[in-house]
Amino acid sequence: MKLIVHDLPEEQVKLILPQNGNTRLIGDDGTIHPCIGCFGCWVKTPAQCVIRDNYGDMGKFLSKCEKLVIVSKCCYGGFSPFIKNVMDRSISYCHPYFTIRNGEMHHRRRYENHFDLSVFFYGSNITEQEKRTAEDFVHANALNFDCQLKEIKFASTADSFRGEFK
Amino acid sequence: MKIALINGSPKVKISASVVLLEELKSLRSSDCLVEYGFHTSFLPQAMNLEELAQQDAAVFAFPLYVDGIPSHLVSCLLQLEKYFIEHPSNLIIYAIVNCGFYEGIQNHHALEMMKNWCIKSGLKWGLGVGIGGGGMLLGLQSVPAGKGPRRNFSAAVIELSEHITAKTSAEDIYISPNIPRIAYKIGAEMGWRQQIKANGLSKKNLFRKL
Repeated sequence: MKLIVHDLPEEQVKLILPQNGNTRLIGDDGTIHPCIGCFGCWVKTPAQCVIRDNYGDMGKFLSKCEKLVIVSKCCYGGFSPFIKNVMDRSISYCHPYFTIRNGEMHHRRRYENHFDLSVFFYGSNITEQEKRTAEDFVHANALNFDCQLKEIKFASTADSFRGEFK
Repeated sequence: MKIALINGSPKVKISASVVLLEELKSLRSSDCLVEYGFHTSFLPQAMNLEELAQQDAAVFAFPLYVDGIPSHLVSCLLQLEKYFIEHPSNLIIYAIVNCGFYEGIQNHHALEMMKNWCIKSGLKWGLGVGIGGGGMLLGLQSVPAGKGPRRNFSAAVIELSEHITAKTSAEDIYISPNIPRIAYKIGAEMGWRQQIKANGLSKKNLFRKL
């Protein structure tokens, strides 16, 4: 399964993103709650976020996916609030125990799948410094989720990515 | 000096960010401090942005979430950017980011994002402090500042405070706890087992898959 997490409006989704049975689209339906840092997804309802809105099963979705595609406005070299919210709500994908990866402490895997990660940043005034921050940040994400980073692209508008998600 | 202390943790009451800000406050008793809690995606309703803009310095303290700034705080920064573009300020921004990993350097990306926010908002960047082993901080509240396992945390806060006094910009400071990494790992994992048992589950539930 391919998982596409995006912050695009509905009209742009229809033009840019694939609509087929093998792809799950995670977009902003206006109901997402922020992570409250309770770690309930590790110690109360393991593998599942305690907040039962439409984004409480991100860990499970990640465990079933082969490709994770993120389409996000670039904010200061990171994700937009909605995309970051989805990622913050995804830590149930990981196990709370630690392991050492690349000489640094990271979380142990809960699941066996190793998905591919592609990130498409858009924004009308992304600076070169923000691009460098974003590249380093996505590399860190890939290390933390223990996935393979396939590509990071930048464009001034999301429309530029049309044709990238087949 | 007039200093704004901004708690960017989603936790309203006690958090590692609060512990760090309290330690900084104890060093700034002769200053005029104003405190804000950015606990949701919206700036506090009663917040006076003009008051914030008139401070000499602002110190953000927040936890690292998935290598970056927590989503609710990104929302707040976007709202502040709009204000500061229209209302230029001489504020100097400092930030303390803590993470549950041992290595303080893992907060680097979040601090870079804060610097990028300063550039977009026309504000001066002071420096950032990246704290590793943030998971220990709540358990160290009864330990006197600067003593025992609190030593490295306190040293970083003191250095930050000196830069705030001098209104200087400097290289970021990264610290890890002054206990071995393996001890931190063992302690943290024991903590997860205790917590899941306290919730009426067994330790094997930590490994649950869906």
